[in-house]
Amino acid sequence: MSKQLAVVAASMFVLVGAMSLKSAVTSKDSGAVLMANGGAPTPPTPKEWKLNGGAPTPPTPKEWKLNGGAPTPPTPKEWKLNGGAPTPPTPKEWK
Amino acid sequence: MPGPLQYAVWILCSLLEASVVVCAIRRRAFRQYFFLNLYMASEFVASAARFEIVRHYGFLSLTYAYFYYYSDALLTILLFLALSSLYSEVFRELNAERYVQMGSVVLLAGTALFSFAVVHQSFTSVQPSGKIFFHFVLEISQNLYFVGLVLTYILWAAILKLRETRTRLIQLVLSLGVYFSLYAANYALRNLYPSAEVVFVVLNPLIGCFLPFAWAYAFWKLPEEARLAPARLAVSHR
Repeated sequence: MSKQLAVVAASMFVLVGAMSLKSAVTSKDSGAVLMANGGAPTPPTPKEWKLNGGAPTPPTPKEWKLNGGAPTPPTPKEWKLNGGAPTPPTPKEWK
Repeated sequence: MPGPLQYAVWILCSLLEASVVVCAIRRRAFRQYFFLNLYMASEFVASAARFEIVRHYGFLSLTYAYFYYYSDALLTILLFLALSSLYSEVFRELNAERYVQMGSVVLLAGTALFSFAVVHQSFTSVQPSGKIFFHFVLEISQNLYFVGLVLTYILWAAILKLRETRTRLIQLVLSLGVYFSLYAANYALRNLYPSAEVVFVVLNPLIGCFLPFAWAYAFWKLPEEARLAPARLAVSHR
């Protein structure tokens, strides 16, 4: 039992150490996202994404601006191509 | 859009990833280092899929962005499993594999819980669940990366302490440590000097080539029987 507890304690210790290291490295956060697998070029992070702490917000289509505040915006063609990517829902303010 | 140099690095990296698996099979080390090879094979598949997506939808498409980040999270989990298998290899003689497996599960679950807590904290209730999930994927990927970094250095310390002499194993662990460190340094410098971001973004794929190169070298050049002479036993010539 004590060995298992030691394993859990060691795991927590590693987790705390890793998160401290992450905090130290990202203390001057510029909005960059650390991606570390393979040689594929990292896709650009749009400005809108940075505002949300890294989570990408789909870009606002031009049509939305024309619609004032009320109706549901039309789905652009690009969105249909996205497969499983989540479609942005209508914010409450629009209603 | 990526230029010819970036495409060249990308293709080179993919070839190196495939060569790791080929070298491991040729040297009959595939089963012994199964998770390392699984990670490299998955890297190759992900790289090919990313290339196809860029070709069809374009580099700036959301499809590529989403696929890139989701696949990166999966690859980071596989890298974590590969690192756990290296732990099992080092601690095999101590019969501590069970504890290593338990520690891996606890750490993975702990990281996932921590990541979810961070994401949940930073999001309000009006945010859509899909967006939270995406943010969670990004967060767990980065957190696991830092956990892997710390674990690699702990493993290196254990190797020194246990006086491990298997050259190939040492090469595999050391190259993983260098790989993690290079990414961390690149990331830290990118945060420190956002004006020079272009340089660090270009460096990213180049660093990505280091690990497959080092592992391919380890499998091809270093036989399993190769041993390093411990410093204390090394004969010094006067």
